[in-house]
Amino acid sequence: MEDLRLVNVTKKFDNFIAVDSIDLEIKQGEFFSFLGPSGCGKTTLLRMIAGFEIPTEGNIFIGDTDISKLPPYKRPVNTIFQNYSLFPHISIYDNIAFGLKVKKVHKSEIKDRVQQMLKLVKMEAHKSKFPNQLSGGQKQRIAIARALINEPKVLLLDEPLAALDLKLRQHMLIELMNIHDAVGITFLYVTHDQSEALNIADRLAIMNKGSFAQVGMPDDVYERPETIFAAYFIGDTNLIEGRVVEIHDEFATVVCHTDSEHEIEIDTTYHRQPVLDEVITLSLRPEKIAISRRPPKRKDDFNILQGVIEDILYGGTHTQYIVKVGAHFLRVFQQHKKVYIDELSLDWEEHVYLYWHDTDTHIIFETDKNKVNSENIMKTIRRK
Amino acid sequence: MERYTNNEITKIEKDNKSSLILTTPFLIWITFFFLIPYLIVIFYSVLTPGVYDIKFIFSLESWKAAFSSSYLDSITHSLVMSLLTTIITILIGFPVAYVIANSSKRKQNLFIVLIIIPFWTNFIIRIFSWKIFLSAQGLLNNALIYFGLIDEPLMLLRTNGAVLLVMVYVYLPYMILPIYSVLEKFNYSLLEASMDLGANEIRSFFKITLPLSMEGIFAGSILVFIPALGTYIIPQLVGHQSSAFIGQLITFKVKSIPRNWPLASALSFILLLLVAVILFTGYNYYKQGLRRK
Repeated sequence: MEDLRLVNVTKKFDNFIAVDSIDLEIKQGEFFSFLGPSGCGKTTLLRMIAGFEIPTEGNIFIGDTDISKLPPYKRPVNTIFQNYSLFPHISIYDNIAFGLKVKKVHKSEIKDRVQQMLKLVKMEAHKSKFPNQLSGGQKQRIAIARALINEPKVLLLDEPLAALDLKLRQHMLIELMNIHDAVGITFLYVTHDQSEALNIADRLAIMNKGSFAQVGMPDDVYERPETIFAAYFIGDTNLIEGRVVEIHDEFATVVCHTDSEHEIEIDTTYHRQPVLDEVITLSLRPEKIAISRRPPKRKDDFNILQGVIEDILYGGTHTQYIVKVGAHFLRVFQQHKKVYIDELSLDWEEHVYLYWHDTDTHIIFETDKNKVNSENIMKTIRRK
Repeated sequence: MERYTNNEITKIEKDNKSSLILTTPFLIWITFFFLIPYLIVIFYSVLTPGVYDIKFIFSLESWKAAFSSSYLDSITHSLVMSLLTTIITILIGFPVAYVIANSSKRKQNLFIVLIIIPFWTNFIIRIFSWKIFLSAQGLLNNALIYFGLIDEPLMLLRTNGAVLLVMVYVYLPYMILPIYSVLEKFNYSLLEASMDLGANEIRSFFKITLPLSMEGIFAGSILVFIPALGTYIIPQLVGHQSSAFIGQLITFKVKSIPRNWPLASALSFILLLLVAVILFTGYNYYKQGLRRK
């Protein structure tokens, strides 16, 4: 197997630690994504795999070969650059043929393989053009063809869709997945765009300050974030700090209080059993919460809270409500479906019921020391 | 496809009108100080020389003389020396420009200033200092004798080598600056892409960096070759009389008695044609390169 393995990979620039002892194993043929805010070290990590940076410590293996000290031109990997980096002075054909020409592959074979690649990326008609005559999406396709023709063990993609507009980006994303399925090469995809990573990756790693906040499958990472950072970076979430007061077979009860007067009780299922009296953080995605003037008819397994609407933000696919529950502010997303028609006219300062299923609450065994969540919610409330 | 709205079209028409107004002074300048003088040169070249002045009698004698072997030799000599100057300035100028373009912004400015500073000293004074430096009792010969490397002064001055040395010295900045301006904007991620695709540093240089700096090398070559071809003062001060540049011969025909204005005019015009042909060929090549942008 030609798996990609990172062992204790570290990169320091002067005194700044860009990548901090990363361990990771990526299976051959996997579509893996590094996801993180700018400056989190994801691009540095990718550049170390490509060979543009040499790790300060640690090793990078493909199969059993240690490639961490090899120059880029001796590594069995190829890169799709963010700005494509097509060679402007040679034709599309010559751009794609570049790697094979360097390796002195026979001319007739080059011709066949370039043709094959042009077909794969659906660019047969453009082979004698020059890069600056192409649109962004077309350049992207050529960059993919130019890399894949070398049959790399791993294809590295550095924010490849960042320069495209939304519709084209969605389209290219599907195209990339199809190409991945067709060639069966390991794809390593770096992005700061969470929806891209969730859509495309078999597994993803959320990076923060040089290390992984969480590694897992997209739904795992989204539904069961292990750290506050992971929960907060992907999607929106409500983070509520609380103390575990009761532990049952399937669920636990958590008491959350913000000040001496207010106290709310929330039931939650768990994947790892908490300890009694442990202080934990609950993550509750805004789209999991229902909002209504009336309490739900069904009550078992539901958490039901009462609150007042503090703010309403219209967002196209959904409306965001900020609801004050006790001293807490909760974010709630409501989709505009006709079945909710009687709820569409919810108004500022209305008293509402919030309810959600126990299994939609998730325990993070960490506390939000920086109070990122509550501060961010406060920022989104408009001043009256 | 570019499409313009009506508003934009009126704007473009306006721009054309204003550009005509803006270029008029230049056209007047070109007409009075370039076109008319050259017409006079052509007119003079088909007249008969007098001892001091010119006789208004039609004659093609000076054109016949201009194509005689002694003048053709001088033209060839000028061409060879200018070509050598251009090649040497490329070989020195490219690495220098590359180093400058790859230094920090602060150092870049310092280097550029260092290159420009010599321009503040008069051109002729700089050539004279070379003359003193290279002369038999000059600093270089004295130093070589002092260190016992030679016994008697070398004949450095009045050689083709001296002419080449000073020409390279004088024209080098004109090569460095255009190459620098191209390399400064060079997208170095293209080199990473090339290495990523399997080309090592040396191949990447010849396949990517060099072809993409041709624009600067071309511009620099024109800026060096053309003035070098017509240079007069450098070979006059540090060169040998037996290998004169065409510019020297033209001056000589005008300066010495009996004067020969028609021959000087014919030779000048040949020099102009040479430069025009070289520029035109170069421009065509350059335009081919531009089409890819």
